[in-house]
Amino acid sequence: MSSRTETDARLPASMKRKTNKDNGIWRLIWKYKALYLISIPSILYFLIFKYIPLGGSIIAFQDYNIFKGFSGSDWVGFAHFAEMFKHYDFLRILNNTVLIGLYDLIFSFPAPIILAILLNELRLVMFKRVIQTVVYMPHFLSWVVIAGMSVAILSPTTGVLNQLLVLFGIDPLYFLGDNSYIRGVLVGSGIWRDTGYGTILYLAALAGINPELYEAAQIDGANRWKQTLRITLPALLPTIMILFLLHIGKFLDFGFERVWVFLNALNTENGEILDTYIYRAGLLSQQYGYTTAVGLFKSVVGLVLVMMGNLFSRKTTGESLY
Amino acid sequence: MKLRPHGLINFRDTIFLQNRATRSSTLFRKEGICLKKWASLALTCMLVMSFLAGCSGKNEPAKEEAASGGEKKTEAADEVTKFSISLRTLNFGYVEKSPDINADKWVKRVEDLTKTDMDIRLVPHKEYEQKMVQMFATNDIPDVVQGQGGTTGKEMAGSVEAGVFMPLDDLLKEYGPNLLKKIPKEAWNRMSYQGKIYGIPEWLGNPSRRATWIRKDLLDQTGLPVPKTVDEYLDVLRAFKKLGVENPYMGRQDFKYADTFFGSYDVFPYLSQFEEADGQVQPKFMDSENMVKALSTYKTMFDEGLINKEFATINPTTFKNTILAGKAGIWTMNANELIQWQTQLQDTVKDAKLEIIPSPVGPDGKGGYYLYGDVARSYFINAKYKHPEKIIQFFDWMVSDEAEQFFTYGVEGENFTKEGDKINYKQPTDAQAVDEERYRQAFLWMVQDTTYNKGSLNLTEEGKSLMSVFDNTLANEGRDGIEFDPRLEALKKNPDIAPLSDTPPPLLITHMVKMVYGQEPIDNWPKVIEEWKSKGGSDVLKEANERYQSKEGVFLPRK
Repeated sequence: MSSRTETDARLPASMKRKTNKDNGIWRLIWKYKALYLISIPSILYFLIFKYIPLGGSIIAFQDYNIFKGFSGSDWVGFAHFAEMFKHYDFLRILNNTVLIGLYDLIFSFPAPIILAILLNELRLVMFKRVIQTVVYMPHFLSWVVIAGMSVAILSPTTGVLNQLLVLFGIDPLYFLGDNSYIRGVLVGSGIWRDTGYGTILYLAALAGINPELYEAAQIDGANRWKQTLRITLPALLPTIMILFLLHIGKFLDFGFERVWVFLNALNTENGEILDTYIYRAGLLSQQYGYTTAVGLFKSVVGLVLVMMGNLFSRKTTGESLY
Repeated sequence: MKLRPHGLINFRDTIFLQNRATRSSTLFRKEGICLKKWASLALTCMLVMSFLAGCSGKNEPAKEEAASGGEKKTEAADEVTKFSISLRTLNFGYVEKSPDINADKWVKRVEDLTKTDMDIRLVPHKEYEQKMVQMFATNDIPDVVQGQGGTTGKEMAGSVEAGVFMPLDDLLKEYGPNLLKKIPKEAWNRMSYQGKIYGIPEWLGNPSRRATWIRKDLLDQTGLPVPKTVDEYLDVLRAFKKLGVENPYMGRQDFKYADTFFGSYDVFPYLSQFEEADGQVQPKFMDSENMVKALSTYKTMFDEGLINKEFATINPTTFKNTILAGKAGIWTMNANELIQWQTQLQDTVKDAKLEIIPSPVGPDGKGGYYLYGDVARSYFINAKYKHPEKIIQFFDWMVSDEAEQFFTYGVEGENFTKEGDKINYKQPTDAQAVDEERYRQAFLWMVQDTTYNKGSLNLTEEGKSLMSVFDNTLANEGRDGIEFDPRLEALKKNPDIAPLSDTPPPLLITHMVKMVYGQEPIDNWPKVIEEWKSKGGSDVLKEANERYQSKEGVFLPRK
């Protein structure tokens, strides 16, 4: 360091400025050393648990054998990817994944927004609090429990839902035993579980809206519907956009457990998604290389979607993740 | 394969986690002392340190190994043999609740009797396969590894082929004469890879384990005789229905433990069920004629309400609860559960009487369920271990008379008393003591015939009748087929077309269930076979026939 400052003195002014800038960064780091020190664990966390394992993706290009390891396994190039695209079921599973992702985007994503706005309209604070707590609850149930409850509720003979249908003169439906309902059940159970919890961020954003805006609107004669449309929604838009982009990134990550617990012989055809397929082929049949390839494909699609969504969002609304 | 059929299992991997945690926290404390100066930064630094400590923990097992390797040398001269051993918890309450299995009194007693010092590493029952693969992948392999069945099972992850374990033939001849004498040849065959024995098997003398159970009290009410054929069974089921039994035949998801009639027609679509037809080896489900008959039987039951309309979504827990609530007439369960279920059922239905009857016979006059493998648990010795002969001796002791008495009855004075040669053993009744007995008899007794515990069943009337069920009813039934071990490569490629030990390939289940539900005509079965072939089944057939001709890893039917 010291020898560097000595040479600095002899350098022309233009170059000096650059190194000064360099020093500036170090000085800045030194100034906020406590903050940087505090952030070391999290930086290390991301390096060790997120970035380094990324390197493990190379087994997608290998005929991976756990006794030979990364270095000893044979390279197979893109063979696993070719196998994946040739697999007779790949299109069906991808189709399921995309469709379920799409339903999730269309139905699950707006649900917390609507619920948050509705909650925001409630006058009685106590009532609002109680409702909020009640709708949060399901989020803390595990999927196994939810699946158990769903089997009971959706049962064609003893289930509550079907007894309701019978009251209205509709024949009972075997919701879990039919290809045509499974996607609805999967997305619906997600809405039931996570809508309440998803309102937290929106409610926080709603709390930040300046009440004067509403007062001004009232004076101008806007009713509640107009107020929602002209003030609440635009104020929520940045939050919505950010969450939307994050959601897009997880478009193909519908989740393994929540699907696995609902699958049975009668609904696998429309219910099976990439995650459950990876579990079956990879962990149960120990085809590590192949399923890593499938997973990698999924991640790349996710990345492309996020980047496209981000670009689109920046161009149109000016909001973006980065 | 030892299959634990029912109940939800809670799994923990406390041992590994605890070790890791204590290790990093001691380091954490040591480093913390020298960081007093900057009070404001101390916390941050400690966080970093504990983090680094957590990372460096990875290197430690290697050091430990080296250290214990050194110890072993000195101990060889002494008496106590030290070794680490991995054991699956098998869903045993006593094992899973134990705070430290290595400090358990029964483990200590076994160690005293055998002059060993075991370091038991428990593998959670439910995540067994994954944890085993993890263990091999991280190269943290104990001196003795417990497998399930043969040398090439999934849980072994190709470790025998990779040379992780040592061949035992010569050692067995020298140090394990009792093992060689007591363990049947079929079981040793399963432990062989390329002509050499790689593991010591805990064997299953009578591989016919699953049985057809009936509510005898209900059957008596109908006035019908004990059914024998499929048609007689259907009549009994119809009579049960008239009596108001909710589930005359108890169905379950994927036909698991609800496959009675596939056995009658000998068409189990399972892993061990290949057969020779017209000089070709093929899976039994390709016998369309009989498969259609079996499926039609289920369809009849479904249409007449003899099987639950929702059987496609009945899970193991619901299955058991429904039966124990007295809402089922006939079902399938492992015979060894008989006494326990009888007691539990009588809590809800006082007059209930359970009986195991011969399974329905098909056109060939035979029936029954698929036969289990000859090997329950198996033990492999790490090729790096210095004194394998000591371990052979340890297992050799397991089949001795001393071991039989110890594991069956426990310790004299504490668990039983002796009058001359007669042993007075009082069977425990409270749940905890029963757990402990089961643990001693079935978990800690590592090498035995696991058909049933003779000494214990001989004590009661129910026990004796259960033994007769095994020896008379079950020994005379059961379906076996040609089995390939190691598994056919073509089956590994596509999980959809691959059957498991007791479940059909997913592709077939879908069609089978739909056919029973009437969503697809049963006559379509030949088309289903074509679909199975087109999705990789043809490769399976080709490989199966090649393997069959070359007689590599082929096991012929035992019955």
